[in-house]
Amino acid sequence: METRKTVLICDDEPALRELIRASVDDGYLFAEAGDGVMALELAREVKPDVVILDLMLPRLSGLEVLARMNADAELSQVPVIVITAWNETREDVLAAGATDFVTKPFEPDRLRQAVRDAAGT
Amino acid sequence: MSRPPISLQTRLIAASAVLAVLVIGVFVATVLAVSAARTAANQEARSKNVTTSALQLEKLILDLEAGIRGYVFTGNTRFLKPYTSARPQLSRRKADLIRATQDEPAQRRQARQINQMITEYMAVYVDNVPVIGAENLGAARDLVRQEGALRIGELQHKFAAFIKNENDLADLHRQSADSKSRHAIELGVAGLIASTILILLFGLYLSRMIARPVREAADGASLLAAGDLSLRLDERGPGEVGELTRSFNSMAGRLQETRSELEEQNAQLRESERLKSDLVNTVSHELRTPLSGVLGFTKLLLTREFDSETRRHYLGIIDAQARRLAELIDDFLDVRRIEEGRFERAQELVDMVTLLREEAQLYSLQSPKHQLAVEVGPKPLPVLGNPDRLRQVIGNLISNAIKYSPQGGIVEISAEAENGHVRVEVRDEGMGIPLNQQQQIFTKFFRGDAAASGITGTGLGLAVSRDIVESHGGRIGFTSAEGEGTTFFVELPGANGRGGEQGQSPEQS
Repeated sequence: METRKTVLICDDEPALRELIRASVDDGYLFAEAGDGVMALELAREVKPDVVILDLMLPRLSGLEVLARMNADAELSQVPVIVITAWNETREDVLAAGATDFVTKPFEPDRLRQAVRDAAGT
Repeated sequence: MSRPPISLQTRLIAASAVLAVLVIGVFVATVLAVSAARTAANQEARSKNVTTSALQLEKLILDLEAGIRGYVFTGNTRFLKPYTSARPQLSRRKADLIRATQDEPAQRRQARQINQMITEYMAVYVDNVPVIGAENLGAARDLVRQEGALRIGELQHKFAAFIKNENDLADLHRQSADSKSRHAIELGVAGLIASTILILLFGLYLSRMIARPVREAADGASLLAAGDLSLRLDERGPGEVGELTRSFNSMAGRLQETRSELEEQNAQLRESERLKSDLVNTVSHELRTPLSGVLGFTKLLLTREFDSETRRHYLGIIDAQARRLAELIDDFLDVRRIEEGRFERAQELVDMVTLLREEAQLYSLQSPKHQLAVEVGPKPLPVLGNPDRLRQVIGNLISNAIKYSPQGGIVEISAEAENGHVRVEVRDEGMGIPLNQQQQIFTKFFRGDAAASGITGTGLGLAVSRDIVESHGGRIGFTSAEGEGTTFFVELPGANGRGGEQGQSPEQS
């Protein structure tokens, strides 16, 4: 294995960030953001291989984060897995630039598989 | 509403009566004119009759005279013929004249005089002439020349005066009849003109005072039906029309009031619907987040291997998330209870000092960033009420103090007796409440900027707390400055009469 891949987890609930971390596991490096602004800052800083993004984020909504990442040349290619408790349609989220879509509550294995697919591991 | 003195009905009847009187007047004037004309015609016929009678009588006299003269100057009795044929008619002609003049006393007097003169003329002169002539024709001739000429002259003069008199009388009658009928016609014409003008005025009055307001009311009703409820009519109509417009206006006013009430209720309903819909979203999100934690970690524990420390850690998270779920459900149920107005009101002695200590300890485990400082005296501060509910209020205030100071800091919790009340304060050094939201924070489901700031909650805690405090006869309030922190206070009636120590005056809320 080459260098370890980095996953950026963006969710305002610490317990859920921990759940995501534990679900994905697989020896990735994790970065965590509790709000949208922090999510963008960390994304630019750590250049993650995969972003797991809750849509319901304080300060800057998940959809806004997604839009700004798409507008950023360095981040537009990063795969984004959207997790949300809201019932946005899958089409809307994918049209907004997400790679994959997982609803809360989620299956840990389903999320792990989604990350593996996105990271190409 | 002051009633006008004369009703419309009275006015209409009065106007009709005036018109009827006028028409009757015109009719009477016409009748008078006709009867005056007839009287004049009668008078004329009578005058003609009198004149004819007088002329016939005069001709008879002249015939008599002609017969007498013919005989006297010829001596031939053959020439007495006019006399002999006229003589028998005399008394009838005299009677005719008297009869013809029976309506005019003055003329009748004259007629009697004429008859008297004729009688004398006949007795003294005419009837004597043939007798005298039979003996002495010359003496008879002299008699005719002197006595006859004199008497016939007098009679002719008298007849002329009588006929002239009769003509004057006829003229007088005619003039009087003319003037009477002229007056009657003038009166009739004047009456007709007045009636016409009155009818026109009446029509004008009807159209202005009744038809126009009624038309306006009809138009107004159409506009009203179309939804323009601000419309008002001129209320100055006479009698019933005024009542109609006033009733119309008051109806429009009530409709407008009702509509604005309905619109207000509708707005409230819409607001309530919006809040409910927000609640559904909130519930969905708020429940799903802890549920995701519970389900996710449970699944992990079931499907993967972890060391015992990690397992315990995950179970702790599951426990906390499940508790949060339970709390949320409690909150929602409390809202139902508030809406249905049924809070159980157990009346137990509750020591607020103990309660504060226990709650502070419970919440101090929740956030390592916050330091909870309890400042209470050694004496218990008992109140009467439901311990679970009071615990819920204090727990909510402490939980809020922690949630709304996300950077951490000190949360001060204090209680003291004050004027027979127990006053509890929970003070934080957090973000404070913006001025424009301070009015609303006790409103159900109101969360201010909390959702955007990532602060969890349902927007129900304070609404429920206020309901509980007020049902205990107390009050709840706060002071806050944005960026500096918030102090919530709760005042409850003390359970052991007057509180021991004299406290300071209550803080401004």
